[in-house]
Amino acid sequence: MSVLAFPAPVSRPQDEALRSEVRAFLSQALAGRTSLEKAESWNGFDRDFSRALGAKGWLGMTWPRAYGGHERTAFERYVVVEETLAAGAPVAAHWIADRQSGPTLLRYGSEAQKRAILPRIAAGECTFCIGMSEPDAGSDLAATRTRAERQADGSWRVNGTKLWTTYAHEADFMILFCRTSGTPADRHRGTSQLLVDMRATPGLTVRPIADLMGQHHFNEVHFEDAVIPADALLGTEGAGWAQVMGELAFERSGPERFLSSIQLLIELIAALRGSESDAAQAAVGRLFAHLVTLRHMSRGVAALLERGEDAAVHAAIVKDLGASFEQDLPDIARSLVDAEPDLASTDAFAAVLAYTTMAAPAFSLRGGTREILRGIIARQLGLR
Amino acid sequence: MDDLSAVVFDTAERLLGALHHGAGRWEDMTSAGQGRGWATIEEAGLPLALTAEEHGGLGLPLADGLELVQIAGRSPVPWPVVETMLANRFAAEDGRTLHEGPVTALGLLTADQRAFAALARAKQMAGALDAILSMTVAHVQERSQFGRPLAGFQAVQHQLAVLGGEVAAGRAAADHAIARIAEGATGDAATLPIGVARVRVGEAASRAAAIAHQLHGAIGYTREHRLHRYTTALWAWRDQFGTQTYWSRAVGRLVLARDAGDLWPMVTAA
Ligand SMILES: Cc1cc2nc3c(=O)[nH]c(=O)nc-3n(C[C@H](O)[C@H](O)[C@H](O)COP(=O)(O)OP(=O)(O)OC[C@H]3O[C@@H](n4cnc5c(N)ncnc54)[C@H](O)[C@@H]3O)c2cc1C
Repeated sequence: MSVLAFPAPVSRPQDEALRSEVRAFLSQALAGRTSLEKAESWNGFDRDFSRALGAKGWLGMTWPRAYGGHERTAFERYVVVEETLAAGAPVAAHWIADRQSGPTLLRYGSEAQKRAILPRIAAGECTFCIGMSEPDAGSDLAATRTRAERQADGSWRVNGTKLWTTYAHEADFMILFCRTSGTPADRHRGTSQLLVDMRATPGLTVRPIADLMGQHHFNEVHFEDAVIPADALLGTEGAGWAQVMGELAFERSGPERFLSSIQLLIELIAALRGSESDAAQAAVGRLFAHLVTLRHMSRGVAALLERGEDAAVHAAIVKDLGASFEQDLPDIARSLVDAEPDLASTDAFAAVLAYTTMAAPAFSLRGGTREILRGIIARQLGLR
Repeated sequence: MDDLSAVVFDTAERLLGALHHGAGRWEDMTSAGQGRGWATIEEAGLPLALTAEEHGGLGLPLADGLELVQIAGRSPVPWPVVETMLANRFAAEDGRTLHEGPVTALGLLTADQRAFAALARAKQMAGALDAILSMTVAHVQERSQFGRPLAGFQAVQHQLAVLGGEVAAGRAAADHAIARIAEGATGDAATLPIGVARVRVGEAASRAAAIAHQLHGAIGYTREHRLHRYTTALWAWRDQFGTQTYWSRAVGRLVLARDAGDLWPMVTAA
């Protein structure tokens, strides 16, 4: 069944040269960060770090130069992303924009939108959030209720609530998925995407939601007769569904889908270093085998993307397997090392174990739940 | 893939597919039937697929020879095709004459030969996994319960999605190791990817066999049904030429011998 064959990644000397450069940069830039801070990589918000990456030319890497990009290959971008995550760098200030909002703008944005925003993303100066989920539309995104109505002057009046919006409180822009005609019963017909300025939109409020650790990363975003200018439409009115599906393919395809727990694996190896225990060796060997295989598959996805092929199913497979790997790690780690998990501990293993245990439930929710991904894979197998 | 390989793949797929489907119950096969089957396998040159040209082999690139092993894994037959491929490769390496007829036991192997045989098994397992997936997909589409095909039930769809993911991962792991060996990796640089492949494909085999049997219901648990040709083979293969535990410990020992800070460089070099 050829759909399940992952192409071999092409390994090129230029990628490996870049890798050494990135490693050298990161070891400097991240010196002094604790293991716990490294474990929080996804959630670490540090504009200075993002600017420094931008200055290196490592954001917007594949985009045209005319928009501040660097016209480098998908593999070169992959090298930067995986090295950054494996090193536990704080990525939240550029992450969403570089990974998905920028590429969406590049594909569907007007010339003015692209000129105004893409260079700022590539410089690490511009932060985005994703306005997809709602109280009644999570997995079932087509049930979205947030509505944008065209005014006489061409502007949009928006009412509704977006939920779980990661870093809305820091973001410069949101790409809002909303209904521009019809009703939720029409499903994906009549939906559109709007580019919302988070700093200058009257009628927009952001309220924090604490996660189970008590930390503030995601938010509720309310639109109450919010006025959004006419030129904020992204792409084609009514084509929101197709656009948002393309965006999700960007969101699901990368190495972030199996590297969320890597700091815990590093601490585990530090704790077991040189161990003669059969169980320890076998468990670490197994985890390593999973990690190497996932990386190989994920680089295969990058190869498909570079060839311009549809990689949605391959990406779903990597995300599903990757989330399970990341989520299994805390339990395996605690079965091998006798340490009380404690966020406040000075023992790196204990602190990172506590953090990763509490972060893990989100791995198979964010970016599409396990059940939704399995539905996508099953469809590809011809079952639906 | 070169042109010769494409022809050989095609021939092997048709030949082994026909032998697989025609073999019926292996234990009922007559010795005449046995002989004829092996003769066609030899005529196609399959026993020489992993042997270099200067030793009388087909001279295929390594990855292509192992692609044939995967094809053999997809169509199990009552003859030791892969064992004979390996025996001839090792005989040629050791300067011995090639084997006449099928070889069932490989005898004493050097460490490198054992690792190579382990890799070939991984690829053979990838073939068997592929076959299990297609069989199971076909079965749930044909079999109806509660007035609709099993494929219509979400619980069944999700089990197949898991099976699909395991098949993809096992195969990717084997292919990755083959690419490394083809590049000339030796010593620890070979142990690591081969170990990774064996550990991952072994785990895929365990999960896939369990799901395939579950979704086939009782019919798949019979001697009559061909599912067991694959699952019993996978259960045996995952522990041959080094058990799954042996390989996971071999990989784990290499990882734990180094600093934790070396983990990621080891991953990118593996
Ligand atoms: C840390 C984190 C960050 C997030 N950041 C963002 C963000 O920035 N922007 C944004 O828009 N969203 C964000 N989300 C939301 C995320 O995309 C949703 O949580 C997700 O899509 C699931 O929706 P839900 O939470 O409403 O769960 P529900 O859709 O209510 O699902 C609950 C459970 O039911 C299952 N289920 C639902 N439908 C089916 C079905 N048809 N078949 C089988 N099972 C089903 C689901 O798989 C899940 O297990 C974030 C979530 C998390 C946890």
